Amino acid sequence: MTIRTELRDSLIVAKKEFKILSRKKALVIPLFLFPIIMIVFFGYGMGGTVKNAPILIVNDDTGRASSFLVQEIGNYSGKYDGNPMFSVTYTKDMSQSEAESKIDAGIYKGVLLIPHDYSDSIAKNESTSLTLLTDSSDTTTSGIIVNFMKQLLAKTGSVILNVPNIYGNLEYLDFLTPGIIALTVFMGSVATTGSAIAGEKEDGTLVRMLMTPVSKRSVILGKTIYQLILQLARAVVLIFAAYLLVGFHMNGSWLIIALVLVIFTLGGVGMGIVMSSRVEDMESFFQLNMLVTMPSMFVTGVFFPLSSVPNWMRYIAYCLPLTYAIDAMRAIMIKGQGLNAISTDLIILSLFAIVTFTLGVHLFRREA
Amino acid sequence: MEPIIEVKNLVKVFHSRGRKITAVNDVSFDVFKGEIFGMIGPNGAGKSTTFSMLTTLIKPTSGIIKVSGFDVDKQDDKIRPLIGIVPQKLSLYPLLTARENLELMGNLYNVPKNVMEEKIDYYLELVGLEASADRYTGGFSGGMKQRLSVIAAVLHDPQILFWDEPSTGLDPQTRSVIWKLARKFNDEGKTLVFTTHYMEEADNLCDRVAVMDSGKMVALDNPESLKESTGSANLEEVFVHFTGEEVRD
Ligand SMILES: Nc1ncnc2c1ncn2[C@@H]1O[C@H](COP(=O)(O)OP(=O)(O)OP(=O)(O)O)[C@@H](O)[C@H]1O
Ligand SMILES: [Mg+2]
Repeated sequence: MTIRTELRDSLIVAKKEFKILSRKKALVIPLFLFPIIMIVFFGYGMGGTVKNAPILIVNDDTGRASSFLVQEIGNYSGKYDGNPMFSVTYTKDMSQSEAESKIDAGIYKGVLLIPHDYSDSIAKNESTSLTLLTDSSDTTTSGIIVNFMKQLLAKTGSVILNVPNIYGNLEYLDFLTPGIIALTVFMGSVATTGSAIAGEKEDGTLVRMLMTPVSKRSVILGKTIYQLILQLARAVVLIFAAYLLVGFHMNGSWLIIALVLVIFTLGGVGMGIVMSSRVEDMESFFQLNMLVTMPSMFVTGVFFPLSSVPNWMRYIAYCLPLTYAIDAMRAIMIKGQGLNAISTDLIILSLFAIVTFTLGVHLFRREA
Repeated sequence: MEPIIEVKNLVKVFHSRGRKITAVNDVSFDVFKGEIFGMIGPNGAGKSTTFSMLTTLIKPTSGIIKVSGFDVDKQDDKIRPLIGIVPQKLSLYPLLTARENLELMGNLYNVPKNVMEEKIDYYLELVGLEASADRYTGGFSGGMKQRLSVIAAVLHDPQILFWDEPSTGLDPQTRSVIWKLARKFNDEGKTLVFTTHYMEEADNLCDRVAVMDSGKMVALDNPESLKESTGSANLEEVFVHFTGEEVRD
C-alpha cells in the first residue's frame, strides 16, 4: 500500500464525510450557528458595546476647556456602527446626591460632574478632578462609559477622574471569544468524530468500508482531514461573526491560531475515536460524550478567568487540555503574542494529540 | 477441481463479558473455482463468523485460510480486491443516493472512473433501480437495499463473491432477482459463496452445500448426494437430519 493510494483513499473518505454532513441540515446549522449565538448572547449580556446610552453632564463651569470636553463627549460615536454611543443631556447646579437619584431612577446611565473651577485649573495647569457616577447595575454600559472617559481624559493631562464605582469590563467579549472558539473546536471535533463513527458502527457502514481494500489508516486520515477543514472553517466563521456582530478585535496571527487549532483538533479527533471505540451506537456515545466533555465546558475558564475560581477547580482545570487551548488562543488573539508565549500550551496540546491519536488508532479495529 | 479457497482447522473463539464462545470449532474445507457454494445451519452455527474470517475482516484464533493462494493472515491486502462482499447486516449510507453509494464503493476499490459510471448504469438497470438511482437509500425498501448491496459488491469485478443471507426477508420477486444475479455472475466465471436459511434456495443454486452446526461443519456435498446419503426427500430433511429439531439460542 503506497502513500499515494492511502492519500487518495483518505480523500475519498473525507469527501464522503462532507457530503453526508452537508445533508444533515439539522447538524450543520447549529454547528456554525451555536457558537455565534453563544458569543452574541454572552457578548451582549456581559460585555459588548453600547448604543445611545443616556448620559447627563452637570457642567458648573463656563470656561473653554469644559465646553470642549462636553462637545467631544457629545460627538463621539461607536466604532462599528453609525449610532452614537451616548445620548447626552446637559444641565448645571445639580448636587451629587441628586444626580445619584436620577441614576437610581434609571433615567441616566452615567452622570459626569464638572466642577466650576475646571477650566481655570486646566488653564493654570493645576490638577483638578471630575466625578463620574455610573449605573452600577449595568456592568456593561458603566464599564464602557468609564473606559471611554479615561481614554478621553488621558489626552487632557492632569485631570483626575473620580469614579465612585467601577464595574464591568470592556474586555469581557475579547476575553470570551478565544475561549468560545477553543471550546467549539473541542466539543465539535470530539462529538462529530465520535458520533459519526458510532453511527457507522450502528448501521454497519464502517465494517463495510473496512472490508474494502482501504486501510484503517486511510479511514482515520480521511476523517481527520475532514475534521481539520471543518473545525478551521468554524473558527474562521466565528472570528468574522464576532467581528461583525460584536466588534471583536483580532490582534494576533491567523497562522499561529491555525497551528493551535490544528493540533487541538487532532487531539479532539483522537479522543472522539477512542470514545467511539468504547460504544456500539450513537446514543451511548452521546451519553459518554456528555460525561467527558461537560466538565471541560464549565471548569476550564471559558466564561471566567481561572484566577477567580477556587483552588480545587483550578487544579481540575490544569488537567484538562481545553484549558491550555484557551490560554493559547487568548494569548494570541487578545495580546497578539507569538509562539514563545504559548510554547508550554503547545507542548501540552501536542502531547494530548499524540496520546489520544495513538490510542485511537490502536483501538480503532477492523473487527467490528 | 482447483480450490480457490482452502480452509484448514479453522477456529474462532470470542471472549465476551467473561464468557468464552467457540463460534467456529476446527473447520476444514475447500471451495472450488467457479462453483456456487452454499452454507446452511441454524442461527449461531458460525456461518457469519466463518465469512468474516474468509473475507479478512477478523483474524482466526487458529487455523489456516488461503484465498486465491493468499494467506488471510499475512496477505489480506492482496485478497480484499479479489473478493466482493454482501454482509448479513445491510450497510449503505442512508444519506447518500444509490448512485453515490455505488460510486463510493467503486472508488474505495479503485475502479477507474469511466469504467465505473458505465458499470453503475448497467447494473442499476439490471436490478431495476435506474429510476431510484438519485434517491437517498435511507428511504429504500429492504428489497431495494439488498439489490443495491449486491451490485455494490461486484463493481470491481471480483473473482469470488461472498453473500451472507442475501435473500433473508425479501419478497419472492426480489429473491428471484437475487437468484438470477447469482447464476449470471457464476456464468461469468465468478465463484459464489453464500449462506441461507431457505433450503430450496440452497437446493436450487448450489453445486455443493455445507451444513454447519455449533461451530462445526457437519456435512459437505452436492445437494443430491446429501439427500441420497441421508434418505431425505429434500434439503429440509437433510438439515433436520444433521442439526436435529432443537431450537438454538
Ligand atoms: N463479535 C462477537 N463477539 C462475541 N460473540 C460473537 C461475536 N460474533 C459472533 N459471536 C457468537 O458466535 C456464534 C456464531 O455467530 P454467527 O454470527 O457466526 O452465526 P451464524 O451462523 O451466522 O448465525 P445466523 O444464522 O443467525 O446469522 C454466536 O453464538 C454468536 O453469538
Ligand atoms: Mg449470520
